Amino acid sequence: MLIGISLVSFFIMHLAPGDVTSSEASFNPKASEESRQKLRELYNLDKPVIIQYGLWVKRIVQLDFGNSFASHQKPVLWERTDKSGNVTKGLIQESLPITLMINLLGICIIFSISIFLGTLSAVRQNTWVDRSITLFVFIGFAIPGFWLALLLMYWTGVSNQWLPISGLHSLGYQNLSGFGQFIDLLKHLVLPVSISSLSGLAGISLYVRNGMLDILHQDFITTARSKGLKESKVVFIHALKNAILPLITIIGLSIPGLIGGSVIAESIFAIPGMGKLFYDSVLMRDFPVIMGILTIGSFLTLIGNLLADVGYAWADPRVRKGLVK
Amino acid sequence: MKKNCLFSNFIAIFISSIFIISCSKDTTEVIDYNGKFKHISGGNLINAMAGEPSNLIAMIAGDSASSAIAGNIFNSLLKYDENLNYAPDLAESWQISNDQKTISFKLKKGLQWADGKPLTSADVLFTWKLITNPNTRTPYASDYQLVKKASTPDSLTFKVTYESSYAPALDTWTSLHILPKHILKDEDINNTFFSRNPTGSSFYKLDEWISGQQVTLKANDKSVLGVPLINKLISRIIPDTSSQFLELTADNLDVMNINPIQYQRVFPARKDLRQKIALYKELGNGYTYLGFNLKKTPFNDIRVRQALNYAIDKDEVIKGVLLGLGEPISSPYKPGTRWNNPNLSPYPYKPSKALVLLQEAGFKKNDDGILMKNGKPLKFEIITNQNKQREMTAVVIQKRLQEIGVEVSIRVIEWASFVNRFIKTGDFDVVVLGWSLSLDPDQYNIWHSSQQGPGQFNFLGYSNKNVDKLLELGRKELNVSKREKIYHEFSKYLLEDSPIIYLYAGYGLSAVHKRVKGIKNPAPPAGIYHNNYDWFVPKSLRRSEISAR
Repeated sequence: MLIGISLVSFFIMHLAPGDVTSSEASFNPKASEESRQKLRELYNLDKPVIIQYGLWVKRIVQLDFGNSFASHQKPVLWERTDKSGNVTKGLIQESLPITLMINLLGICIIFSISIFLGTLSAVRQNTWVDRSITLFVFIGFAIPGFWLALLLMYWTGVSNQWLPISGLHSLGYQNLSGFGQFIDLLKHLVLPVSISSLSGLAGISLYVRNGMLDILHQDFITTARSKGLKESKVVFIHALKNAILPLITIIGLSIPGLIGGSVIAESIFAIPGMGKLFYDSVLMRDFPVIMGILTIGSFLTLIGNLLADVGYAWADPRVRKGLVK
Repeated sequence: MKKNCLFSNFIAIFISSIFIISCSKDTTEVIDYNGKFKHISGGNLINAMAGEPSNLIAMIAGDSASSAIAGNIFNSLLKYDENLNYAPDLAESWQISNDQKTISFKLKKGLQWADGKPLTSADVLFTWKLITNPNTRTPYASDYQLVKKASTPDSLTFKVTYESSYAPALDTWTSLHILPKHILKDEDINNTFFSRNPTGSSFYKLDEWISGQQVTLKANDKSVLGVPLINKLISRIIPDTSSQFLELTADNLDVMNINPIQYQRVFPARKDLRQKIALYKELGNGYTYLGFNLKKTPFNDIRVRQALNYAIDKDEVIKGVLLGLGEPISSPYKPGTRWNNPNLSPYPYKPSKALVLLQEAGFKKNDDGILMKNGKPLKFEIITNQNKQREMTAVVIQKRLQEIGVEVSIRVIEWASFVNRFIKTGDFDVVVLGWSLSLDPDQYNIWHSSQQGPGQFNFLGYSNKNVDKLLELGRKELNVSKREKIYHEFSKYLLEDSPIIYLYAGYGLSAVHKRVKGIKNPAPPAGIYHNNYDWFVPKSLRRSEISAR
């Protein structure tokens, strides 16, 4: 499976004209063509595509992701130390943690808010509460993120100086205590996480709402109510547990999304994450980096599918017992 | 029932708090930025970059962010002063031999690297050997390979001998950053950690580089040209220009490049911004043009090219695309410099003359008003890269050409594909592009008929024997007034042949916070940044350590 994915990705990548030597600087009258040709030979870019693929596979099976083609020559995945003890950090090593952090925070927020809103919608079906929640999540889904981002940056950062506008830390960062640095980072993440979560709310909350509606109309709920159980216990313990089951599959399937960042959000908020890394590498035709990210992404997709299946089986006893597929 | 009450209460409190917060009074103190301030050292200057530098060794890095930062860390032998004349940098004087093939540079005494070790001619020789070494991955070696022999007669003298006299030589020595031999002699220059932690000799040295976020430089107390007044230069990496603008207005940035809309529309409408931020404009050393593929019909016919030149209103382009912040040009040189021929003027907007020329070339208007020749309409495609100004320029041109009966379509292509799929292969009709040029007038690489190979810069296919001769002569002539005549004549041929239509030379626009003093306004020929080591921030106007977010 991984070989298929990597082969297709490699070939598609090479379909685009140009390579790492065709940057904006390549149109500088002071830059010579021979140097570009030399660089192409050094990186094997003049060899047939299938041979380039073979060379790449030979390295990747030894878990050697190689170095970037860019002039900084940084390793694609993990840091390397040279003979004098200087450490050059890897590209993915630097970008992945921040993307993971934003995405994990985003997922926690999306799921907690969506479950609350979805349940509320279902319990108060067709009242003004239900309608306004649906309206709210659809607005959140439809609104262009970059536009809202700029508006919020202006309102919270320029007109009222509550939050920082962009970046990941303030200027006097080093002088803050450990706790102060943590709070500073959280302040910088409020806007990016909110903007990227906003569009995810619609899907999940409506999913939960529909799941809850199905369940609330079933017989066992009527039984529970007639037993005299408190309404909150009926809703939150008996009904919700069943409605959440499909969400486990969704969580599993969103694992590969954890390493992808939105390049638009990252550009606007000046966050050096995986989205910007991938986008810049594509524009620069930086093949080792592109293939590195695609390989990790496909690996995580496969793992995510597996976890989703396992998770569903664990959560739903009926699946385990073979009663429901 | 209970839940309903709780929820409505929550909504009510939420909405009312929004109102209360947004209605709070605005308390801003008025600071007086005008007045006399003492030159004093200290403070910091925060600017923004759209891209991150990749490698601080300028000969290896290809991107502008890297050379911008490296330019603050390293010196060359010469530099340009504010009037774009050669001035001493590491070399205090230089002499050209009588046969014009040898240049002798005399270094200043007592030069030091930032780590205290002495800077001598050995470092200069080392740097020259490095850039001409075939194993060094640099695109800029060709100028330095023309040096037949380089030597260091003593520790303060560096001598180079060229095969034949090479007029652009001095300009090439203004852009070679001299590197320390004692640090790099055993390093692999293509893979050394020095690129991320350099030691230079100029005004600043690297303080901190937080990958992807910011690069901080601090004043080098051993700087060969003296210690700068501003203590720290902080470059924040902010890819989006709207975010940069928001940071500027929130006082988190001091300097920013702005676009014509911000200069002409946003700032004039915002009194609060004009109170604390000053605007500057300067002419850069580049121009935007419409280039014809001279190997394709009908562009091989000079009457067609000249006709299209008359049919485009360049003033309209400058007004519409640049909001008036640019100048029309008639030669490939910066207006105001000696290389610009003052007797040439741009083709005026005369659509009637355009039609006359096209008729001579055999085009006649059909019933729909489209120009036809041999049954084929005059129709072509303009391609350009993803640059908003070039796209808008193409649209303005399309409209004007449509008025005289020429059908034009526009295509915008991402850069790498643009160069490889269309430019290199010669598979294009017309391009809208720009050149950003060095200060030496030599344009051999762009206009000489021998430079038409794949990957070379005469991609339009221009060939004119007179121009070839002039370009060859210009490269050899070291006498400035003779050289001036050569390039004036060259510009005349270029204007007549019209292989390109000069569209405009746009201004570089900057917004700088008024706390930064020492900026020369109006900008001298070298631009406002040439003396950034002389800028200072008065003590009373500095921001406190943590207030910038």
